[in-house]
Amino acid sequence: MQVLLLMYQDEKAIQKLPREEFGRIHGAFVAYVDALKKAGVLLANQGLGPTAKARTVREATVLDGPFAETKEQLAGYFLLDVPDMEAALAWAKRHPTLAHGAVEVRPVWT
Amino acid sequence: MEYVLLIYGNESAMLNAPKDATAQTIAAYRAYTEALKKAGVHRASNRLRPTSDATTVRAPGGKQSVLNGPFAETKEQLAGFYLIDVPDLDAALTWAKRCPGAAHGSIEVRPVWTA
Repeated sequence: MQVLLLMYQDEKAIQKLPREEFGRIHGAFVAYVDALKKAGVLLANQGLGPTAKARTVREATVLDGPFAETKEQLAGYFLLDVPDMEAALAWAKRHPTLAHGAVEVRPVWT
Repeated sequence: MEYVLLIYGNESAMLNAPKDATAQTIAAYRAYTEALKKAGVHRASNRLRPTSDATTVRAPGGKQSVLNGPFAETKEQLAGFYLIDVPDLDAALTWAKRCPGAAHGSIEVRPVWTA
């Protein structure tokens, strides 16, 4: 089954982190991506730019900012191909975002 | 430039829509995906299962918790996304306006992170 791991974190808090901590997080992501690739389960992953750069379209209206103000913001996603939800959760529990936020696991519609 | 079009809509309204309306929506999305592909801007797209199938993992203070449901309760829910490759934000917004989801929900346009 395909699942999406949605990364949510407080983007302002992340932007204010000291440089070394930022470097440590980056290293953790590189290692995580490597582990997913080695396991042959990674289909795609993207990090997103800050919500300050977001626009929201509703009918023909374009507004600055994300669709809703939330305490944490969508920061990126990982698309995985795993045998079942249990395997998806096992990967979610290893996700580096957990140090600073939440990971939502959503199955893809088939 | 790569942009993600995040489709937010009222999922219970979608799930409770009459059969013909659902078929119409699916056909509109199929046509939209086809148009993106013909224009050579489509990179990826996925429709997501409803948030009732979601599980959220957190680890406040290092202690992990696994809860049923999405990360936050919102009036509209993330239903799917398109990843497109277009020259600029204007082009991304033009495509977002044509997305069937813009008629009864919101399309959030976010640039992909580039190092």
